[in-house]
Amino acid sequence: MRTCSHGRGVLRFLSTAMPIAVVLPIVVAFHWSRLGWRDQHVNYRSRPSGYTQIVNRFGQPCNADARAISMRWTAADNGVTYSFRFHRKLGGRPTAMVSDKGGKSTNLDNDVYGHIQNAHLQPYIRHGIYGYVCRTKRNSNEWSTHAFGIAIDVSSAEEYMGKCTSTVNKYHSSIWQNHGWYWGLAFCDPMHFQYATNY
Amino acid sequence: MKRKQAIAVGLVVGVTASAGVIAGAAGKAPVRSPHGSPIGPVVPGDTGAGELLLAVVGGVFSSRADAEAANAALAFGDLHGYYVVPLAQFQGFRQQVGEPGEFALVSAFRTEEGARAFAELAATLGIEATILPERVRSLGGLYAGLGQEASPDGTGPLLGPLAESLP
Repeated sequence: MRTCSHGRGVLRFLSTAMPIAVVLPIVVAFHWSRLGWRDQHVNYRSRPSGYTQIVNRFGQPCNADARAISMRWTAADNGVTYSFRFHRKLGGRPTAMVSDKGGKSTNLDNDVYGHIQNAHLQPYIRHGIYGYVCRTKRNSNEWSTHAFGIAIDVSSAEEYMGKCTSTVNKYHSSIWQNHGWYWGLAFCDPMHFQYATNY
Repeated sequence: MKRKQAIAVGLVVGVTASAGVIAGAAGKAPVRSPHGSPIGPVVPGDTGAGELLLAVVGGVFSSRADAEAANAALAFGDLHGYYVVPLAQFQGFRQQVGEPGEFALVSAFRTEEGARAFAELAATLGIEATILPERVRSLGGLYAGLGQEASPDGTGPLLGPLAESLP
């Protein structure tokens, strides 16, 4: 009698667990194959600290490598696709998701971008996205990190400079940080991610 | 036995001395700088006096205060956008803008590529930007953003005149 009820319990467990065990890997595999993305982490440079290290690692401001790689990113709120440029050492290496752009790393256009898409965080990418610009910092005569092609501003209208909290970029900031980027929220510029510190 | 000990001691002393020499030399080696010495973090305040420059204009205002207020409201984010300058500091400027006023929001460039890139950035951010069709002659005066464009040779910023900017 006891053996019979035990056997029924096992059967009930198996009838629930088996479909999950079969379906789950298929769902996961489908998800990955649809996106075709893998976090590659190929050829990451150590993050420079201060102006001299930035120049030693990425070259002079506004040099040709600083704007060598381009990518497109569509803002979730207005549907506008922004095209922007960044440094050859921070992306443009061919992967399953990225064509060969002559870059040396998988960092930005494959790893960071792919990670944000794969984690379904694209709704938190809002309008105002730009990268390389040969320009100084606001109200300053010092070169901006944008001039080296090592800074990206995301959701710039909503995460404006001077705002010391974040409303949308906070959802994906950890992805940037896990790939070597420093988040500007620390200096009340939550739109800003840069591949350098102390500058 | 003594011979073996002598060899061992010799090896230890030799390796230690070599390591010391290498470490000493490394300490004196110059810092590797593949991109040359940094040009410096500060953009020189070049006005391009006497040169023919391309001007990107964000608006014309009757007073400096109005121009400053309008400039402060523009959302260039963490980048410096326009500079407030008197119209009179560029010869040929007033005739091209066709608007009454004494002060303008301007960024000056030596190359068309530089002017276009800045105008595109402004457009991306929803900010007015008009590239004047003709070059204007700089009479000096206030800094208007010159030097914030890439040099055609790809080595860094353009910090001097080009053939097309010289009269």
